[in-house]
Amino acid sequence: MEPINIILSGLGGQGILFMTGLLARAALEKGFSVLGAETHGMAQRGGSVISHLRIGRARSSLVRAGRAHFLLSLDEVEAYRNLSYLGFGSTCYVDAPDSPSLFSGLDRFLRKRGIVFRFFPARRVALEMGAPRAANLALLGYFAGFEKEPVGYGELRTAMEVLFQGPSRERSLQIFEAGYEGALRSRNKI
Amino acid sequence: MSRSSRTEFLLGNGAIALGLLEAGCQVISSYPGTPSSEILPEAHRIAESEGLPLYVEWSVNEKVALDVAFAAAVTGKRAACCMKQVGLNVALDSLMSAAYMGTVGGLVVISCDDPGPHSSQTEQDTRLLARAAKVPVFDPSCPEEAREMVRTAMEISEEFRIPVILRPAIRVCHARQDLCWDPIPPRPRRAEFQRNPTRWAATPRFRLKLHEELNGKLKRIEERFATLYRFNGSDPAAEGVVPLGIIAGGVPFAVVKDLLEEEGREKEVPVLKIGTPYPFPESLAEEFLSRCEKVLVLEETDAVMEVFLRDRRKVWGRLSGHVPWEGELIPQRIAEVLDRALRDVGLDPLEASSDPEVFHLMERLQLPVRRPTLCPGCPHRAAFYAIRKALPKAIFTSDIGCYTLGLNLGAVDTCLDMGAAITMASGFSQAFAQDGELRPIVATIGDSTFYHSGTAGLLNAVYNDARFLLVILDNQVTAMTGMQPTPGLGVRADGSLGKAVPLERVVEGCGVQFLRIVDPYEIPSLVRTLKEGWDYVREPQGGIAVIIARHPCVLAYREEAIPQKKRLKILETCKECRLCIERFECPAILFDEEAGRAAIDPVLCAGCGVCLQVCPNKSIVEVKEEAGQEAPHKG
Repeated sequence: MEPINIILSGLGGQGILFMTGLLARAALEKGFSVLGAETHGMAQRGGSVISHLRIGRARSSLVRAGRAHFLLSLDEVEAYRNLSYLGFGSTCYVDAPDSPSLFSGLDRFLRKRGIVFRFFPARRVALEMGAPRAANLALLGYFAGFEKEPVGYGELRTAMEVLFQGPSRERSLQIFEAGYEGALRSRNKI
Repeated sequence: MSRSSRTEFLLGNGAIALGLLEAGCQVISSYPGTPSSEILPEAHRIAESEGLPLYVEWSVNEKVALDVAFAAAVTGKRAACCMKQVGLNVALDSLMSAAYMGTVGGLVVISCDDPGPHSSQTEQDTRLLARAAKVPVFDPSCPEEAREMVRTAMEISEEFRIPVILRPAIRVCHARQDLCWDPIPPRPRRAEFQRNPTRWAATPRFRLKLHEELNGKLKRIEERFATLYRFNGSDPAAEGVVPLGIIAGGVPFAVVKDLLEEEGREKEVPVLKIGTPYPFPESLAEEFLSRCEKVLVLEETDAVMEVFLRDRRKVWGRLSGHVPWEGELIPQRIAEVLDRALRDVGLDPLEASSDPEVFHLMERLQLPVRRPTLCPGCPHRAAFYAIRKALPKAIFTSDIGCYTLGLNLGAVDTCLDMGAAITMASGFSQAFAQDGELRPIVATIGDSTFYHSGTAGLLNAVYNDARFLLVILDNQVTAMTGMQPTPGLGVRADGSLGKAVPLERVVEGCGVQFLRIVDPYEIPSLVRTLKEGWDYVREPQGGIAVIIARHPCVLAYREEAIPQKKRLKILETCKECRLCIERFECPAILFDEEAGRAAIDPVLCAGCGVCLQVCPNKSIVEVKEEAGQEAPHKG
């Protein structure tokens, strides 16, 4: 199988590495090989952060330009910064307060390459549930509401149950669920 | 009872740690530095869970670390020393000599490269330093291979009695991969020391002999590398001569191999992988070269293997202008290089994977640069703000750590290398003094960096009567690299307690007469102390003034750093001066265009309340929860 390539982006401190770890664990549970690349060090202090995740057989941890299947971004600007990674027919899940209107050049480009952008107010959802730093979990839930491959709701939830062992567990799962339900609602609207 | 095998999604540095333990490594020393920092903690974690005997230490710097590991290897134990690539510069004195002296137990030096650079001051190539030191080097392409290579490196080191380098690049260190391992049997060795002054204390006469011995070892290791097919070699040859072949090592090997397979071109363009670039297995390369009309060399970050290939007319790489001399060889760049080489030999180009339009599009989007910043609540921010306020016209020499980001507050003018805040301040002071000028100079250095390389510079500055203010930003942790402990607290790498060596004792020991300790959260008090310090620096009988700005890191010590979180808000009286945003540069303060005034982001705000002292207009106020009143800060 050709690897499924995922780019995760945002700003240092938003929990990109944790989100990458959850996706990876879910994929491992499903029996895939996983190779990822993380950002550490200087850039973690509030700057642009990007993680690469390749699910399936791969030798190198970096995704090549034009070859990503998914982009999950906790920041709208960082999603646009990583446009060059997006492959034909790829899907982007982006945390944004309300669906922003894309300027025409971008919109045309996305249509030409069959790229779909889905916006979800992950941070607001997490904030309303009392854990503003858990936007990553809300966005992951939203992703799980649309996608089954390479990993979907079941595997991600199991991964969370394993990784969260503290008092924050219940609330974290609830935030993930809120993202998931948000996806189901917007799917029904479509 | 035998345990079953385990699988973990390990960081590359974890894979290296695992390989070290599997190789029976008993001693690991290190100084933290991206991308190497996680090797030691991972080794400690795995050793604990496997019940293996392992001594770990955060040494005060890389040279110290290498000496410690070297001595352990002299006792017959297997040892390793981990650092980032620029750390190897610090340890080079030790490495050069250790290569001559050789070891008894295996000694692997792990020096992690940072092509990009992502978190370093240079893109230097450790393989060049290995060549300079005459030490063999392994160049892994992925975490799993790094684990295997470190085991082989340990064997080769011990067999030939020579230190060996493992050079993982950042994409190996900070890649993650699922790795499986079986229980590791403990194989502890007891330390022994056999006196042998002609080796362990060799004088120049004996050094010549040791040099000859070293050259002989390298010759034999080269022959071994030529048959080390686990890491070196190519796929079975096609008939006849092909128009283009590739010689690659390290991460670029993994990238180009993936790329050729994705494009279905792997049969057409053979790849010779060299995982041991020095001593260069020339016979393997010569044989490969004879089967190709042209050979493209892909390696990071300098030209090393390329230089060893004698037939210049056949070889393309950096010297021929095919491969860029700077920057990381990311997949996109390798695709471009390969595409050009394919066209140049008359083969089909690569299928375009990306649309060039996207790059024009992104230019038009004019995305803002998101520079790294000091965290909300960071005590360094308060210190830099006070420094700028007290001595706005000073030259600000600084150093390596989170506080290099004091750049954003206009309080960092220079950053050369570890410890250079102090030594450059000395140099500036002497250069201006020669012209009869006493320029205000404020040096800033972190606690960990001061222990690493500050003392020699401070001692030198005192002795030579340099005049400057030194602010040691003491957040009681090595923050940038992931919260490793410092000698100041005395907590050791395995969590046990050592003997704390307080900064103030070291500073006094260096002969400093003016020393004050201030909490940087108290900005007026720090400003006052800075001015007092500057007065002392200026006195004819004065000297260097040292101020320890002590406040715990907000990331490492959340509760202690801000015991009582303040809830803050900005009043309508805000005059839009933007000082809190531009000069104080707190990420939690934004400008609300709609309201026409600064606003606090309650999620980002750490509640330190330092900004209360900063607003010239007293428009930032604390929200008192119980009374529901807003009391302007009296400051």
